[in-house]
Amino acid sequence: MPSLKTPRLTRRHALVLGAGALASPWVARPGFAQTDAIRIGSLTPNTGGGSPFGPEIAEAHRLVVDLVNSQGGVNGREIILSQENSETNPEVAVRAARKLIDADRVMAILGTWSSSVTLGVMPLCQEANVIQMCTSSSESIPAGDKKGLLFDFQALNPAWGKAIARLALARGFDQIAVMGINNDFTTSMIGTFQQSLEAGGGKVVNEPFLYNPNQPSYRAEVERLIAGNPPAVFIPSYVTDFTAVYREIYRSGYAGQVITISLSTGPKFKEAVGDAANGILHGFPVPPVGKDAFDAYLRFVGLEPSGQVQRPFGSAGYDQINTLLLGIAKAGSLDPFEVVKGVFAIANDPGERVTTYAEGVAKLAAGAEINYDGASSSVEFLPNGMLASRDFELYEIRDGKDVSLERITSES
Amino acid sequence: MTAYLVAILTSAGFYVVLALALNLQWGLTGMLNFGLAGFYALGAYASAITTETAGLPFVAGFAMAVAVGAVAGLAVAGLSARLVGDFLAIATLGFAEIVRFLALNEDWLTRGPRGFPIATRPIPEGLSREATAWAYLGLVAALVIVAYLIVERIRTAPMGRVLRAIREDELVPAALGKDVFRFKLQAFALGAALAAAAGSLYAHWVQSISPDHFTTALAIGVWMSLIVGGAGNNRGVLVGATLVMVILEGSRFLTGVVPGLDAESLSALRIALIGVLIVVTVRFRPEGLLPEPRIRLETPAKGA
Repeated sequence: MPSLKTPRLTRRHALVLGAGALASPWVARPGFAQTDAIRIGSLTPNTGGGSPFGPEIAEAHRLVVDLVNSQGGVNGREIILSQENSETNPEVAVRAARKLIDADRVMAILGTWSSSVTLGVMPLCQEANVIQMCTSSSESIPAGDKKGLLFDFQALNPAWGKAIARLALARGFDQIAVMGINNDFTTSMIGTFQQSLEAGGGKVVNEPFLYNPNQPSYRAEVERLIAGNPPAVFIPSYVTDFTAVYREIYRSGYAGQVITISLSTGPKFKEAVGDAANGILHGFPVPPVGKDAFDAYLRFVGLEPSGQVQRPFGSAGYDQINTLLLGIAKAGSLDPFEVVKGVFAIANDPGERVTTYAEGVAKLAAGAEINYDGASSSVEFLPNGMLASRDFELYEIRDGKDVSLERITSES
Repeated sequence: MTAYLVAILTSAGFYVVLALALNLQWGLTGMLNFGLAGFYALGAYASAITTETAGLPFVAGFAMAVAVGAVAGLAVAGLSARLVGDFLAIATLGFAEIVRFLALNEDWLTRGPRGFPIATRPIPEGLSREATAWAYLGLVAALVIVAYLIVERIRTAPMGRVLRAIREDELVPAALGKDVFRFKLQAFALGAALAAAAGSLYAHWVQSISPDHFTTALAIGVWMSLIVGGAGNNRGVLVGATLVMVILEGSRFLTGVVPGLDAESLSALRIALIGVLIVVTVRFRPEGLLPEPRIRLETPAKGA
């Protein structure tokens, strides 16, 4: 028997509640009615594994759109930016992408970060002729892009492996043991790392292997890695795992050189392990520190250039939205295939160098060809939409700070 | 907008089938299954491997998914059905992790973390985008109806009475000569097969699956549907799953309406909202929005 305090919820109430909830998307819909607005979607990993980087990508998209709108939009059209959180999870991202494509009617989805999300929403984008711009490094990405609608602002895995092997060899490490987190990102990186190391006269000692993330302990893996006491170990991983893995290495008393990727050694890692972090070598595709376009981006988002790498993915987000808007301005239409041609035209040679939307659109209006030079890279695309090259930098941690040792440009 | 609503209804359909499967296992029989995502993944991968690697049509993939789901359900229940309550829950959670790690590590079979692209579609090629979306909704709706009819039929049949008796106290049906173990096996395997069938349709709908698609977070969404809707009541399950999907998706439209709410805070708010919904339900309406119908016993009239 329900007591007097218990609210009675009959079947009828439940029905009304359900119907009301179902109707809420319509009621709550923002009241934009311009048919000629340019609708763009931004799908960033604001929470989950990509959470250190998602917000800076989202911010870059939003600030550029606000700026361009305040200057009169693109070809006189307002830009409407719809932002969603992918939660770094493809199941959530697919639903968010459906909303962006079918409810917001966007012509492009920018900012996907992890490869599983980029690949997860790709079938939808291909079906609906929606342009994708991402910073994912899976080798499978070009193969899925059958219609040629995707631009990747990150170097693919093989380029990472090659660059880090070159940098390690240059420091005299030619006997390296390898283990990596089991995901698409590291599996192909390890393959090319091994090839490049061997091509340069080095050797991978022990059998390279993968470990599963989120383990309570990595002792067995670490013991396997440092068996035979190799002079150096290379561990491509994410920050959460690497902290636990590195603790285990430190406790084992291993005295060789630890090499990893800079994704793993951010401020959180340094905070967690303290002085023990000193001496680690790490490498990463970097924004060109000291370049005018990168400094201009930093000031644009309210930071001061410090000579250190800041906002490694925000700078790519800034380049994504700038190239897309310039591509639309160049194409003079919203047809996705025309816009793709426009993006190639404004990003690649030949053309006068520009670094912002306003600069580019002024030169386009004057009838000039332009070549966008970005904050994260020079933004030159191969015919398959992949980045032609990116800068890699090798750092050593000294006194809790990243000290740059060497920089190379790695071709894809 | 219509295409979006169609897509969301399709998504909700998968939740409904999963929730119906869970209702059979937990709502009716009282078997705690925290490994629902594992059976869902198993169906998705079984179907993908059958159609893509073996090159067979969708129907074969779907049949394979159902078969693999049922066999896995039998195996899990057979090995652990003598466990009760929390112990069964932990065993099933372990099963889901095993499936996820198999999918992650057996690259030759599942293509591992790089994801499995799926080209085979259960509907004719060459339809427009809109027509394709509607056709998928039709298929998923058909699965929902079939699943509903099966689970509802079991609920009202004598078998349903035995299952409820098992839920309340296993010893009673055992004392009445019912083979409790066999009934538990049947209920669990059928639920697992339904979850796998949903997984098969899901895989061909999203056209790209990876182990990240089948996390425990998904299973928790289904559990919430059941708790809010009303465990043991199949119509309540429909309401609960729809409500959870409406909160997950409808809340997206709050950006731009509520000032200061961006995509980031919204996704946190979304989860909080569902948490609040559960707390409120459990506090004020522990039996769910639509409670399980009470069985009226015929009592002889007084004085007869």
